[in-house]
Amino acid sequence: MSIMEYNGGSVVAMVGKDCVAIASDLRLGNQALGISSNFQKIFPITDRIYLGLPGLATDVTTLRERFRFRVNMYTIKEEREIEPETFAHLVSSTLYEHRFGPYFVEPVMAGLSKTPSGGVKPFIAATDLIGCLNFAKDFVVAGTASSKLYGVAEGLWEPDLEAEDLFETISQTLLNAVDRDAYSGWGCIVHVITKDKVVTRTLKGRMD
Amino acid sequence: MASADGGAYSYSLTVFSPSGKLVQIEHALAAVAQGTTSLGIKASNGIVIATEKKTSSILIDDSVIDKVAVICPNIGIVYSGMGPDFRVLITKARKSAQAYWKIYGEYPPTRVLTQEIATVMQKATQSGGVRPYGVSLLVAGWDSHRGPTLYQVDPSGSYWAWKASAIGKNMLNAKTFLEKRYNDDISLEDAIHTALLTLKEGFEGQMTEKTIEIGVVTVPTEAELEEGKIGGETGRVRPTFRKLSEEEVRDYLAL
Amino acid sequence: MTQRPQQHSFNPYTENGGTILAIAGADFSVIAGDTRQSEGYSIQTRYAPKVFRLTDKAVLAVNGFAADGNMFVKKVRQRLEWYRHAHSKDMPIRAIARLIQTMLYARRFFPYYVYNILGGIEEDGTGAVYSFDPVGSYEREACRAAGAAQSLMQPFLDNQIYFKNQTPAPGTSFPQHLPLNTVLSLVIDSFTGATERHIEVGDSLEMYVVLARESPSIQALQNIVGIQERTSTADGERIFVIRRDLKKD
Repeated sequence: MSIMEYNGGSVVAMVGKDCVAIASDLRLGNQALGISSNFQKIFPITDRIYLGLPGLATDVTTLRERFRFRVNMYTIKEEREIEPETFAHLVSSTLYEHRFGPYFVEPVMAGLSKTPSGGVKPFIAATDLIGCLNFAKDFVVAGTASSKLYGVAEGLWEPDLEAEDLFETISQTLLNAVDRDAYSGWGCIVHVITKDKVVTRTLKGRMD
Repeated sequence: MASADGGAYSYSLTVFSPSGKLVQIEHALAAVAQGTTSLGIKASNGIVIATEKKTSSILIDDSVIDKVAVICPNIGIVYSGMGPDFRVLITKARKSAQAYWKIYGEYPPTRVLTQEIATVMQKATQSGGVRPYGVSLLVAGWDSHRGPTLYQVDPSGSYWAWKASAIGKNMLNAKTFLEKRYNDDISLEDAIHTALLTLKEGFEGQMTEKTIEIGVVTVPTEAELEEGKIGGETGRVRPTFRKLSEEEVRDYLAL
Repeated sequence: MTQRPQQHSFNPYTENGGTILAIAGADFSVIAGDTRQSEGYSIQTRYAPKVFRLTDKAVLAVNGFAADGNMFVKKVRQRLEWYRHAHSKDMPIRAIARLIQTMLYARRFFPYYVYNILGGIEEDGTGAVYSFDPVGSYEREACRAAGAAQSLMQPFLDNQIYFKNQTPAPGTSFPQHLPLNTVLSLVIDSFTGATERHIEVGDSLEMYVVLARESPSIQALQNIVGIQERTSTADGERIFVIRRDLKKD
């Protein structure tokens, strides 16, 4: 059995028009046994970057602290907030440091980066457990329901969705994917990041 | 106070004298003051760093001497003082820039790299068995956060941001000259001429493309920024710092 | 060198990839499958049908081990012919479903390595989809995906066919069955999506449409390019096949 299936969990991120969304389930399991229905696996990195860490729960917690440390050090040393592209590379290099004894996580990140003209540009990325970056233009998925998420997202996602429509798309994608995955589910959380605010919603779905 | 023979506190170990001074550092500064003049000027659309390249004998092939060094595509450094010490610092700085790139996928901002070098230089003032570096540096670079910036780093490890500065022989005269000439709206072209004029003040011998080295930071245009950091043709990071070729230096000297 | 006995084992099964899908409407049924046949990372052929017309009212899709699938279809067809000779009529679809269960379970300890989906028209004129596991467990459903891209398609169909995780607007309700043109669009979208993300799915798509007697759904087929009729007798259920290209990479 895959180590991803030890605790279960899934994350998806999508690009919209001047906005991005990232969503995850809330299940923490011990293989087939459900332990918690409020296990957060998406963490705010800056006001405009969110990081999802599906995978082995102990590594999720450890890496969250590791990235908090590294981003805080960056912020102090450079006297600026880290940009999503830079953070993605930080995630990648942090994971590759452990190339031969990896953290069992598949990070997914979503954020808005600043453009030279002062606007914002949606950014999403995902890596494998040793940090191979995937900068997708549409959506990225990870976790035990990844194949289901790919299927639904491929059918529902379209370019240039406004924030509200993007919320609906990512929510439906996640809910229907995790309902077909025994290791994911038990509640869902969605963050929609726009220029002036982040909207966070918990979804009502099946709890079985 | 540093006497001619170095005085009682002139050990290889850097220790405080009762008056609170680190005499080794003052000696290092003296070494810098003997070095050839270097200067840097920040213009409205870029930075120029320049130095005179003097050789002790006409038999030396000066085409392979580099006093202005490229650290990474956005940062360059010039020095006054001891050449070998500079070479070591350059190697460390370049490694540091590459290490930063390996982590963040981009080259360090000028301030971060300057801090990194300053830390190396400070360590040499507090570690056992080493002497301070006998150089002062002018670090010029461009980054998206702070734009074009010019820093000076001294043997003590202290660093400052300058609009214009000079180090090495005649630095006081050069600084006075720069103070008179400098204004905030100076263009890069004018700054290069001012740099050459300043060097000319204390120059011994002929100023030619063989005896002058110039490095420039150019600020990317809005269009270039929008295109992204990577250059179209090469697939590499588009450089914002470059050394002027001998031909370019000759053209500036001719004007 | 010492001679040691070596053990060799023969694996009689292969997995040949591909995906099948069937959706039932009120008075029609759509049974679809891609035509790529692969073994490991090699494509054996870009056109190997997985969907077969059994009678004028029943279509069988087989996915898994292609050799077993083809042989199984052949045997089912033989049994249907015997039935025709004995009863002078086509076997009803619910009976075919039970027959398939019996035939699969007969091989309980050396199974046909095949997932079957049977689609067609019930005796009462309703659209039907029956899905089977390799040893004969079966169930009548409104929609089912099976094969390599089952995990990609099924949650999408849950959402779009069963309206799972959706709430109807106040005072309204979701339809029990979708119109034929909607179903055909969903089938095409499902396969293009699966082709995009799954290496074993692609090349081309074959969609069989079974219409109930005098079904008004025929309207939806009027302007479809390249549609072919496969009906054998007049005045009964009608069968059509629609082919579409899928990406070949």
